[in-house]
Amino acid sequence: MSGNRRKTAAAFAATAALSLLASACTGQSDSGSSDDPSKETTITFWHGWNSPTEVAGIQASVDAFQKAHPNIHVKVVGDMTDDKVNQALRAGGSNAPDVVSSFTTNNVGKFCSSKAFTDLNPFLKKDGIDPDKTFPKAMNEYTQFNGVRCTVPLLGDAYGLYYNKDAFEKAGITRPPRTWSELAEDAKKLTKTKGDSYERLGFMPNYHGYETTTEHYLGAWDPKYFDADGKSNIAKDPSFAAMLTTQKKLVDDLGGYEKLEKYRTSFGDEWGAKHPFHTGQVAMQLDGEWRLGMAEATKPKFEIGVAPMPVADDEADTWGKGYLTGTIAGIAATSKKQNAAWELVKFMTTDTDAVVNFANAIHNVPSTLAALKSPKLKYDPRFKTFLDIAANPKSTTTPPSVNGGAYLTSLQNLGFDIEKGKQKDVKAGLENTAKEIDAAIAQAK
Amino acid sequence: MAQVLDAVKEADPATGAVTPAERTARRKSLLNWIAVHSLGVAAALFFVLPFVFLVLTSLMNGQQALTRDLWPHPFEWSNYQRVFDTDGFLTWWKNTLLYAGLGTVLTVVSSLPVAYALAKFRFRGRHLSLMLVISMMMLPPQVVVIPMYLFWAKQLDLSGTLWPLIIPMAFGDAFSIFLLRQFLLTIPNEYLDAAKVDGCGELRTLLKVVVPMAKPGIAAVALFQFFYAWNDYFGPQIYASENPAAWTLSYGLESFKSAHHTDWNLTMAATVLVMAPVILVFFFAQKAFVEGVTLTGVKG
Amino acid sequence: MTTYTLRAKRRRSALRTAAFMSPWLIGFCVFFAYPLISTVYFSFTSYDGFTAPEFSGLKNWAFVFNDYPLFWPALRNTLWLVVVMVTCRVVFGLGVGLLITRIKTGAGVFRTLFYLPYLAPPVAATLGFVFLLNPGTGPVNSILGELGLPTPGWFTDAAWSKPALTALAVWGVGDLMVIFMAALLDVPKEQYEAAELDGATAFQRFRFVTLPNISPIIMFAVVTGIIQTMQYYTQPFVAGKVASGVMGGSGQQFEPGYPDKSTLTLPQVVYNLGFQRFDYGSACVVALVLFVLAMAFTTLLMRRRSGLIQAGE
Repeated sequence: MSGNRRKTAAAFAATAALSLLASACTGQSDSGSSDDPSKETTITFWHGWNSPTEVAGIQASVDAFQKAHPNIHVKVVGDMTDDKVNQALRAGGSNAPDVVSSFTTNNVGKFCSSKAFTDLNPFLKKDGIDPDKTFPKAMNEYTQFNGVRCTVPLLGDAYGLYYNKDAFEKAGITRPPRTWSELAEDAKKLTKTKGDSYERLGFMPNYHGYETTTEHYLGAWDPKYFDADGKSNIAKDPSFAAMLTTQKKLVDDLGGYEKLEKYRTSFGDEWGAKHPFHTGQVAMQLDGEWRLGMAEATKPKFEIGVAPMPVADDEADTWGKGYLTGTIAGIAATSKKQNAAWELVKFMTTDTDAVVNFANAIHNVPSTLAALKSPKLKYDPRFKTFLDIAANPKSTTTPPSVNGGAYLTSLQNLGFDIEKGKQKDVKAGLENTAKEIDAAIAQAK
Repeated sequence: MAQVLDAVKEADPATGAVTPAERTARRKSLLNWIAVHSLGVAAALFFVLPFVFLVLTSLMNGQQALTRDLWPHPFEWSNYQRVFDTDGFLTWWKNTLLYAGLGTVLTVVSSLPVAYALAKFRFRGRHLSLMLVISMMMLPPQVVVIPMYLFWAKQLDLSGTLWPLIIPMAFGDAFSIFLLRQFLLTIPNEYLDAAKVDGCGELRTLLKVVVPMAKPGIAAVALFQFFYAWNDYFGPQIYASENPAAWTLSYGLESFKSAHHTDWNLTMAATVLVMAPVILVFFFAQKAFVEGVTLTGVKG
Repeated sequence: MTTYTLRAKRRRSALRTAAFMSPWLIGFCVFFAYPLISTVYFSFTSYDGFTAPEFSGLKNWAFVFNDYPLFWPALRNTLWLVVVMVTCRVVFGLGVGLLITRIKTGAGVFRTLFYLPYLAPPVAATLGFVFLLNPGTGPVNSILGELGLPTPGWFTDAAWSKPALTALAVWGVGDLMVIFMAALLDVPKEQYEAAELDGATAFQRFRFVTLPNISPIIMFAVVTGIIQTMQYYTQPFVAGKVASGVMGGSGQQFEPGYPDKSTLTLPQVVYNLGFQRFDYGSACVVALVLFVLAMAFTTLLMRRRSGLIQAGE
């Protein structure tokens, strides 16, 4: 309480002696701190997980760390979104975190270029860790920006196709689709209409169908988001127009946007038990590796099949690749206990047992090469599909950008306009969106 | 109901001579009564049914809340227990009470003298001051939020607390000043003059004469300010979101939804628990509140 | 009385005024004037919160007006809300006010029931409405479906999200009801009696007696409604966020406006620029646009309803 009172007094004093625009002048303190990680200390760790099993998983990882480092106490704060992380990193101060993990790789560019996260290279070098030999290639890439490694991967996500084996059998389909043409064909075969709606939909192609977003679909092509000058490449790379056109065709073939959207509103929540794939409302679902555990937990009335996601028709030979992303961890530049913070980050992201145990707990893809091979890794045989996707060198991810995931939001908004028929000219749409992305990046620089 | 009976009784031909004209008039007034009250019932349903649905859903089990059922079976009273057991729910209560309670006291204490001066003193710049008060009252908080946020967070290291929301209330709140001024205008100057003849200074006059007479106005201001803080979402979102220990009910409620996904029954139970205190307070202080609303618009 | 004592008295009274006004004077400077000047200053700088602000001329202004995709939709939505939502609230508030002055039996109960929704905390009320209007399983669509009526997507459909917000706003019309009720009771009874003697119909009495008497209050309700619409934040933000399902779990960032930017308002744009994109300079540009709009209508309010401040002069 005395702390609060002191702060209040300080606030009054400061408001009384107010200097105009004073707030504009605080720069970033130099990174690097000289705290002694072998001394008694407390660090704050923010993460974004909020479902009980996931929270328990991360807590177990932290507990294991504290057993190994009894002098470093960790205050864990969950359910922290990137907005809050970004805000706290700017504000600094006593409530700000020392160690942060974020679900998306979207903000890595922002975190690294703004120096919100401290550069981890000196720490890695000091402890003799070579990131190239420690982390899988795609994960290695999405954790750094313009040569600054300000984050390390903390488990990964790989996207594949889930399918209802019973429905496949009844429809006489022998194997999961491998190309978009096959996907469209199978989706039509699996769809059963009822009145002006569906009894079962083969596949929900609409972008709001949970994980069926533009960037995830694009994992089936070979997209290059930015050219060598860092300008948006979406109007030039034919992958983008191909993806947008193919998705729109599938939407139309399955009954049209309106009808599908109406059916979608009868779906349960993405993270709840009533997910339409669990209930059999859709027969195929593009989703991340975590869905398997979630779906099985609800004891569905059918057998679940898992396969890599279908790829573009002209890239049929690359079947087996997928979209990769993952959770990242970094150390706040404002932290005054960076050495102690590094101990926690190092343990959680590079200690093989810690990574394996955490992956086992929350059914994610392990993020070190050693952990991927660990015999302690427990998983459903079907889960191997995702481990293979993660290890596939053709798998792609979305590149970091100086203004975070804003370019993905812009592209997604174009997708929404195209699927509902508001934007008919795909080429013109892509050109406008490329301009929007370039303007936003110029503004952020 | 009594009115209906009266109307029916009066229209009864057995009670005496009633002219046909009177009869038509009475029948017309009965029809009018029925029309007005049916409309009233319809409007009441519109206003009340949402509450009813919320409460009913809050008593369903998780499965049922996702069905088209309207009536809970069985009644899950334990939903409320589960909401109270949620991590942080009691902290949100505590923080909300601190923000609303302390904020209200500070607002009243700091706004009253200003309102008094604006209502009863004659000084140059009075009209301008009043204009500025009204401008501040109408100013969306988002207009100044960037510099204010940087000031509190970067200069004073107070992000992650509710102090950036509470401290400004010690410096007068435009809406409260305006509302109190409107109320103080209705106090006749003779009372103040009498107090001065008795040798009271302005401060004594304010405390001994004006405050007792202005109690309804003060009560209205206090209620508005309390509800404002209770309902505030933007403020806690900006300043307290990074620290769950400083969350308020309004902010926590939205995150409660995100943590419970489609557990609409639990979310609705939490919603009911956030609404309930406001409605209880209203029942105890209805008169002051309605008076306050009227004062803001009508009695100029 | 000598000039000397007169001057001393004047000085004393000026000091006294200053003392009484002091809390607000400080508040005005620290929480209004200073941040307003800062907002203007920041609007001409590039500032991301990490490196010190740098003067950048009109860059932010050009960005907001030409390239920022959320600004114009927010302004268009505000216009829609001003036209439809404010009108609905005023018409409905007046209707309920008229109704309540005519209810003879149980007027107190009716008044309380009509007023209650206004008190429901906005976040709670919005959550409630998102649930009630949940397209798949919500009670409203259940009932509409039973009746064979269309079942819109409400908060998940760009064409229906603003009407759904309007329903929420109309539900909480209690404040206007009370104001109109007071105004209606103030209309002199004699005027009604005179009109009735002249054989005026109910509609004519409303048109030629009620309306002229309460027109200043209607004006007041409209202008304050417009100003409230400028500030409209919590309901559209929470509704969009909850209905989008983009929250928690996936860690995806929620961009206000779901669905399809249809619930964007200017305050949410300030939030998006300032606290999601951390482009403080551009956020200040939108803040200033908001300021100019709010002040324009405030001036209108002070002109039109000069009664608001004249009394006691």
